[in-house]
Amino acid sequence: MAGLGRAYGRMLEAVVIFLMVALTAVVVFAVISRKAGASLSWYDEVASIQLAWLTYYGAALAAYKRAHIGFPGLLEALPPGLRLALFWFGELAVAAFFILLAWVGMTVLDVLEGDTLVSLPWVPVQVTQSVIPIGALLFLLGQAISLPEQLRRVREGRLLHEGETAEEGP
Amino acid sequence: MILLLMLLALMALILINVPIAVALAIVAVGAMIATQGLDILPNVALVMYDGATKFPLLAIPMFVLAGAIMNASGISQRLIAFASALVGFVRGGLAMVNIAVSMFFAEISGSAVADVAATGSVLIPAMKRRGYPRAFAAAVTSSSATLAVIIPPSIPMILYGVMSDSSIVQLFVAGIVPGVLGGLGMMTVSYLMARRLGWPVEEVFQVARLWLTFKEAAWALLLPVIILGGIFGGVVTATEGGGIAVVAALFIGAVIYRDLDWPFLRSAIIDGGLQTAVVMLLVAASALVGVYLTELQMPQKLAAAILELTDNRYVVLALLNVFFLVIGLFLHSAAAIILVVPVVIPLITAVGIDPIHFGLIVTLNLGIGQQTPPVASVLITACSIAKADVWEVSKVNIQFIAVLFLVLMIVTYVPVVPMSLVEYFYR
Repeated sequence: MAGLGRAYGRMLEAVVIFLMVALTAVVVFAVISRKAGASLSWYDEVASIQLAWLTYYGAALAAYKRAHIGFPGLLEALPPGLRLALFWFGELAVAAFFILLAWVGMTVLDVLEGDTLVSLPWVPVQVTQSVIPIGALLFLLGQAISLPEQLRRVREGRLLHEGETAEEGP
Repeated sequence: MILLLMLLALMALILINVPIAVALAIVAVGAMIATQGLDILPNVALVMYDGATKFPLLAIPMFVLAGAIMNASGISQRLIAFASALVGFVRGGLAMVNIAVSMFFAEISGSAVADVAATGSVLIPAMKRRGYPRAFAAAVTSSSATLAVIIPPSIPMILYGVMSDSSIVQLFVAGIVPGVLGGLGMMTVSYLMARRLGWPVEEVFQVARLWLTFKEAAWALLLPVIILGGIFGGVVTATEGGGIAVVAALFIGAVIYRDLDWPFLRSAIIDGGLQTAVVMLLVAASALVGVYLTELQMPQKLAAAILELTDNRYVVLALLNVFFLVIGLFLHSAAAIILVVPVVIPLITAVGIDPIHFGLIVTLNLGIGQQTPPVASVLITACSIAKADVWEVSKVNIQFIAVLFLVLMIVTYVPVVPMSLVEYFYR
């Protein structure tokens, strides 16, 4: 089970590396093209989509590594019973939001059927927008896989602070 | 009433450690459902997507990645050797080197955390070996790293530019003089401490050594010239400058220095992706809140309410300084900018403050926030490298925070300091 969790983390890391490298390549190629007098018509649209993809795949990795920006100070200072109760409440609230986002994200994909990108008419908007439901599901999975380790930290009263991430994941 | 409930719910969720981005989104969705019913829900997916496609924010991953490559390619070590030859002869030499390297690094990276990781991992152990107190080594590394967000390029400035709809390039230019003032102020504090406590001179000044280290570091020193020269000269945009920074750093590391540490680079790219994603999720979630607040005309109502109390711009600036300093204690700088800037911009323009000038004020306030616990990302990274206690380091760090505060006061009340270059080049 732990091995599967680590494999999940490695997969998301590979996706994030690919998206970062691809984004840089597109930006640099666009500068060169513009300076050569042949601006790319698709640059703004494609690079913005890449940023959105990096946001949601990266956010799923951050959920797995428990690296999102938060404020653990108060929770740590509370008595163990209350700390645990509020932790579970927070986890459920986060999970509920991403279940909702995955569901409305799927609904929107149906609505967008037939729409294509402006600069690249052969790319359906459904493909680019799919990052919302997929990203939401990956976030939920990352949260679930890292839950036991996070629960241990909560029980010990020592949560991850800013600048700290679960380096190897849970 | 709903606004008050939103604020209370947001605070409650943040206080129980729900990620701030998710807390924002939950509260916004709750308010949207309460006022417009369940039919509004599909908009949540559309706004969360559109919110993450803000084109100018592409500069963030680019500058994060450029800093990461610098760390992985031996550029930092060469800059340290050059700075040591340049200012190492002054009493308290390693502290001077630390600040000088941070100022160089600031011209390539826009992240103070990247700066503290780059300089701290080499200079904090070196300072400890030379007899500097551990707390001082961590404090000077931490505070000087904050210069990375004041001296261009700067990730908080990119975020501010997008949130306030103002020119990122002009913000970058406005940061030059305050950043240099901050660096010189910190060098003065270090020198006075070194004189008082008898800290060593690092090396005798030698022109030959300076030349040798300059030749070694010349390519690294060329990086800011390429990046900032291109951006300020209007040759490339801030985002394109970031892309060029990545390629130039990669070229120098892999081809010129042949010193690129690939495993380190891999983890640096992942870190860069993570940093970008957590900030961008905040931006996307704030777009949801923005839709709601805009419908309520909340920023305009807040501006009107404060203008009824005072329309004196200096009083307004003093109030905002206090407000930003307080939230800087508890909020990450990106979160603070994303949450507060769109709300206060109508007030700023109503009292006649230039948004570029205000951008510098916000950046400096949040730069100080990076140094003040409990939430102090840069300070905590420096303490973790130095294996020093946060509160012990903070006692020493007060002197450097005082320098940043002095620069903040100068920037706030003598606008010509940040704005002179902007006026000269762009207006």
